[in-house]
Amino acid sequence: MNSDTLPAVVDCLIPPDDFPGAYDAGVCDYIEQLLKTDLAEHDEFFRAGIDAIDNEALAKYNAPFAVLTREQQIATLESIESGAVHTSWPISSARFFVMLVNVTAEGYYSDPQQGGNRGCASWVMTGFEDVLES
Amino acid sequence: MKKYDAIIVGTGAAGGIVACMLAEAGKSVLLLERGRALSFSDVGRDHLRNQRLAVYGHNAGPELMGNPRVFVNPQGQPRLVKPHELDYHNNAACVGGGTRVYGAQAWRFHPHDFRMASKYGIPEGSSLADWPITYETLEPFYERAEWELGVAGDGRTIQHEIPRERNYPLPPVPPSPHTVALQHGARHLGWGTTSVPLLINTEAYGGRASCIGCKYCVGFACPTDAKTGTQNTVIPRALATGNSELKTSAVAETIETDDRGNVIGVSYFVNSSGTPQRETARSKRVIVSACAIESARLLLNSRSSFHPAGLGNEHDQVGRNLQGHLYPRAYGLSPARVFNGIGPGVTIATIQFNHDNPGIIGGGMLADDFIKPPIDFWYDSLPPDLPRWGMENKKFMRDNYTRVMHVRGPVQDIPNPEGRVTIDDTVRDKWGIPVARLSGTTHPATVQAAEFMRERGEQWLQASGCERVWSTQPGLILSGRQHQAGTCRMGSDARTSVTDEWGRVHNHDNLFVVDGSLHVTNGGFNPVLTIMALAFRSAEYIARLI
Repeated sequence: MNSDTLPAVVDCLIPPDDFPGAYDAGVCDYIEQLLKTDLAEHDEFFRAGIDAIDNEALAKYNAPFAVLTREQQIATLESIESGAVHTSWPISSARFFVMLVNVTAEGYYSDPQQGGNRGCASWVMTGFEDVLES
Repeated sequence: MKKYDAIIVGTGAAGGIVACMLAEAGKSVLLLERGRALSFSDVGRDHLRNQRLAVYGHNAGPELMGNPRVFVNPQGQPRLVKPHELDYHNNAACVGGGTRVYGAQAWRFHPHDFRMASKYGIPEGSSLADWPITYETLEPFYERAEWELGVAGDGRTIQHEIPRERNYPLPPVPPSPHTVALQHGARHLGWGTTSVPLLINTEAYGGRASCIGCKYCVGFACPTDAKTGTQNTVIPRALATGNSELKTSAVAETIETDDRGNVIGVSYFVNSSGTPQRETARSKRVIVSACAIESARLLLNSRSSFHPAGLGNEHDQVGRNLQGHLYPRAYGLSPARVFNGIGPGVTIATIQFNHDNPGIIGGGMLADDFIKPPIDFWYDSLPPDLPRWGMENKKFMRDNYTRVMHVRGPVQDIPNPEGRVTIDDTVRDKWGIPVARLSGTTHPATVQAAEFMRERGEQWLQASGCERVWSTQPGLILSGRQHQAGTCRMGSDARTSVTDEWGRVHNHDNLFVVDGSLHVTNGGFNPVLTIMALAFRSAEYIARLI
């Protein structure tokens, strides 16, 4: 698995603005931890999905996902989500995409003890916690 | 072998109360609990593994491994399910049972809830029936539960529908900004509103501190012990008498009978030495308070030549009529921030749609919701047409987490005898005990009522100034979960019920079921206070017998 791909993917799913994007909030750390524990059975499945995203990028733009423009990255993910894939997937792209979106949100919005939501960034952003409490 | 006056299986809302009443009446009691006593830090604050949102696990038992059930979907396909999956229909397995981690809404049932068949007739395919007792019979025991455990609320706002002799001992939780908006909306619609009664100390009560307004009621334990469960009230009282013994991690296997078929005790597994050991205890009375699914499982697993289909099951009634509540949910986007970060979050309800809705059998209560952690909100509460990812999704979370108003409520389940618990002899738990198999659905009339209540939820939010509203309703599924009930219903006819009005299993003089299993119907309200009231009533009766 190209180590640049997952950070680029999660930042498309939850992009940075004046609050951190998924990568800076620690979502990749959260996912790596989850793949060793609760999702250990799905580790291969998940990594195959990330590789398949890269293959889609290569087939469509002749470049790995991480170096595409943000617009190209979003377009790539949108076609995967809608089932319009350009390559042959070893796993179900639909099932993988749902898992990808869910674990990214979990890493971003759940409690920081899980490895993501660094500095309670999303809790401050949503207003669940005010700045003083966090 | 020591012989107890009573063995009680389960320490939840009912078992804890029965233990306390019997022990305080001077009876010797053995209290068995399959889970452990959980501290505040044992329960923890994991946003993905709790009894409200259990994506990868949960926090109050049973353990994920070794405790499977079989769930049969509406298409008839069975599969193994683990305790944190929705189809497991779990309730917490620990000292205090569900009351350790519940939201603690403490409603009485409506007087009409006790006579559903007389009021509405019996729809085809349903086992709808009247209770063998009326609201008036249970009223003093509701009051006793409210005062002995401590309920906060304003009875004056409720008594036009549900009459009561005495107000609650504690004042209601204070309003939140969304309370004001919902009050205004209801007034505009001409709807009455009420406070939401809660088993939460809004002031110090019963030797425990007051609520500090944290955001973690449902699914979690309370940091100040202000949330009231059996683990911090009646169980300590029972133990303080010196008459009762609590065994934790003690998993009941069967109710033992003698060579004439009479109940004489309980066999259970304990693991105190690291290796599982089977023990048997003898008693004059056995009281099963293990919650609707596990109580039915224990009776069905107690098979002998005298009781080949299990105890109390001569007429194939044990485990039938499994019911909980369908929960329609409505959401509205308020023009202003309505979240103030102060829990519990539930403050206002309407009970005027619990009955007498045109073309509907029953109905339900609608209330605002407990504060949802952001990941729970992300999974549960987003508009269906919002993209699940990208800047638009983030922006919605950022701008609207504090602006979304939530209205939801339990819909009276119209019981279906095919929604049921049976035993799967081919699947065993880690102790070797055959597991519960859950199958069937609620009755279609429940779904009609849920759809009606979903519309009322949207209407309320629209009238409360929301710019846009959206909603969901679960459809024709099996209901059960934390509100599970009905599997050993009370009645006077042994062919259509399992126990008499005291919870005594028909044709037995010393075997009782006391928990939500007894509910003939489950009201359009959270059921815990009714479970508690019935427990006080049955315990008083059982104490007189011994």
